[in-house]
Amino acid sequence: MSDATDTEPAEVETDEAREAVLATLTGTLGDAVAGSHVKPGQGLWVRVAREAWTAAAEACRTHLGFHFFDYLSAIDWMPSPWGRYEYSAVDDGIAPFDHDAPIETGLAGGDTRFQVMCRLANVRRRGEPHLNVVLKADLPDDDLRIDSLVRLYAGANWHERECWEMFGITFDGHPGLRHLYLPGAFEGHPLRKDFPLVARLVKPWPGIVDVEPMPGEPAANGDAAEGDAAAEGEGAEA
Amino acid sequence: MGLVESGKLPKPLTSLLNTARKYSLWAYQWGLACCAIEMGAAFASPRYDVMRLGVIPLPASPRQADVVVISGTVTDKMVPAIKRLYEQMADPKYVISMGSCTNCGGPYWDSYSVTKGVDQIVPVDVYIPGCPPRPEALLEGIVLLQQRIGREDMADRWRGDPLVVQ
Amino acid sequence: MSVLTERQQRAYIDAQAADARVNVEVETDEGMTLNIGPQHPATHGTLRVIAKLDGEQVLWADVVPGYMHRGYEKLTEVRTYPQVTTLINRIDWLGSFANEVPFILAAEQLMEIEAPARARHIRTILFEMARLANIVLFLGDLGVQLGAVTPAFFAFRDREHVLDQIESVTGGRFHPNFDRIGGLKDDLPKGWIADTKAVMVRIRRFCDEIEDLLFGNEIFEARTRGVGVIPPEVGLSYGLTGANLRASGVDWDLRRDGGIAGLAHGDVDWKVWTHPDGDSFARCWVRLQETREATTIIDQLCDGLPGGPIMAKVPRIIKVPPGEAYVATENPLGVMGYYLISKGDLGPFRTKIRSASFSNVSIVPWLMKGVYVPDIITILASLYFILGDIDR
Repeated sequence: MSDATDTEPAEVETDEAREAVLATLTGTLGDAVAGSHVKPGQGLWVRVAREAWTAAAEACRTHLGFHFFDYLSAIDWMPSPWGRYEYSAVDDGIAPFDHDAPIETGLAGGDTRFQVMCRLANVRRRGEPHLNVVLKADLPDDDLRIDSLVRLYAGANWHERECWEMFGITFDGHPGLRHLYLPGAFEGHPLRKDFPLVARLVKPWPGIVDVEPMPGEPAANGDAAEGDAAAEGEGAEA
Repeated sequence: MGLVESGKLPKPLTSLLNTARKYSLWAYQWGLACCAIEMGAAFASPRYDVMRLGVIPLPASPRQADVVVISGTVTDKMVPAIKRLYEQMADPKYVISMGSCTNCGGPYWDSYSVTKGVDQIVPVDVYIPGCPPRPEALLEGIVLLQQRIGREDMADRWRGDPLVVQ
Repeated sequence: MSVLTERQQRAYIDAQAADARVNVEVETDEGMTLNIGPQHPATHGTLRVIAKLDGEQVLWADVVPGYMHRGYEKLTEVRTYPQVTTLINRIDWLGSFANEVPFILAAEQLMEIEAPARARHIRTILFEMARLANIVLFLGDLGVQLGAVTPAFFAFRDREHVLDQIESVTGGRFHPNFDRIGGLKDDLPKGWIADTKAVMVRIRRFCDEIEDLLFGNEIFEARTRGVGVIPPEVGLSYGLTGANLRASGVDWDLRRDGGIAGLAHGDVDWKVWTHPDGDSFARCWVRLQETREATTIIDQLCDGLPGGPIMAKVPRIIKVPPGEAYVATENPLGVMGYYLISKGDLGPFRTKIRSASFSNVSIVPWLMKGVYVPDIITILASLYFILGDIDR
């Protein structure tokens, strides 16, 4: 909702709805809320302590009526050691991987490499589309465990299984964490940033070297402008 | 060993049998992903009707099929099933690999779970490029396969020599 | 052929038996195991359902997805934004344009760019045409799953006209790769609006035909009424969306309620269809009505198409500023959303793809308890999923 020419009261109302949700959560959870972020008209992010994960979901469900379970996943905030595995000089904008650089996290803050996130919403109240929240929780690197939400939201079952096999995060209380997508013998957790895409390591992609030039402009790699080349080429072949 | 397997058939009879075989292909469609929809359009829509080439689409089981059209991304998890169903087909059998995912991995060439080309699993006779190939491209692939069958020496499979593409 | 020794014969028979045991088990006290898939005409692709039966009744069923898992979320991390757009329209491969839209909107949200009004309108038209291409096939396939093969031919025939229209704009029957951050790749060709309106008339006629052939049929009603009832609360806790949820009586449609500024559904007059029953018939019926509604939306959008540029001013090489955004739209299969995390790079840092069929199919193990074997297929057909959407 980047159109800021909406009437001011509408903008403020949306804010208020999200701020009210945030206030309810802070009131119920207290210190467990480690950070939050409200984007007016766009979203509400709340980061809670790992121990309060189930309590936060419970608060959303009972106090706010967020019965709709959207999704649950995780974020690995470490930048990939291989970047985009590309060797072209044209699209270098990525700094080389620095092992010692502090890991930057996103909205609502974060202190650790792995964060679990979950989105819940209330879809039954007509006319108020913005009642939803993205809950995040930090996970310490040496103990990737968190409580399972299956007891509250049955749909969390598959999402947590996927999260386990993609990131290696264990969910305490889950009825059976086993592979969902990957074959049983698969080793490793693919969505972690240090899981390499072997095909790209073997054969790097040249990147965006051959960007198509705009009509009249020379190409990125120094070729002549498209109009001239095309005219000459067609004149010679026709 | 019959006459066909031991290579003792006279040439005119071989070409008659080849003509009969190529115009009566029973195609097992292994529709995995998006290419399956184009294959469905070729097989089931009145516009790109494949039956006019003599190819009938829906066998009841792979054991009755002559040609399998593998269309769509092949993942490592799916490979045992493909291998088993290919082995269940009766000889002589042909494989058409439709789409770039089955040809070489396609847009998912760098994925951790995609098999980079179904020819790592089963021998492929015709490769149809495209993402997805138009139904007309599939029809052309079938026509090419038919041309190949028409020139085939049926005893080649039993002789133990490598199959040479004419 | 030499004669096999007795040991070789026994080994051969054992191997065959072992092979067969994987698929069908001898009936024991606990019931027979039936394996459906992963290659099966009735599962819309490579989905595997393992059911434990007591006679004809299912004791429990397990769904094994993953046979089409291509690793989308990892692949988006190593691609630039235009490359990601090319890739993601293969998630829900029937309604392909619709897959690109939430991602593009999320990127536009982070870049704080708005597409011009004309682009917004055409985006919505193509979005609804993707819905038509998708659901028309569903309606045809619905017949095939339940044993009526004829509707499939009608569906493919009329779907070709929709694909023709999409192709004349975008160049591709599906996988158009037409949406760009900031607008669209190209403008509409001449005469497209008139042709589209003619196609809409055909689709409406197709909907009437399907209603006649399928929905009016006694056998269809007997097979779908009361089968696979999903109470709304259960649906919400599983994250069910789209027509599946609306068929349980939940009046929620992101086109109306999502506040999505990037699409023009708010500018036209249309209706959200719900059904109170929550059974398979309700789900199929809601989708039929939604198809008709989509033709109305397209007609109105074609009438009121604004002029102007088709693309906002964006840099040639797109770098999205750092941030996080989640945009979800009402795709043909349900709610599809992209949680886009950007670090100011040429490509996304992490994309979480919330796909509709993943949540829709996660309810199947719960839903299958106590149903009969033919109802398994009815339920799978009425839930309507695309494997690429489940497995990403």
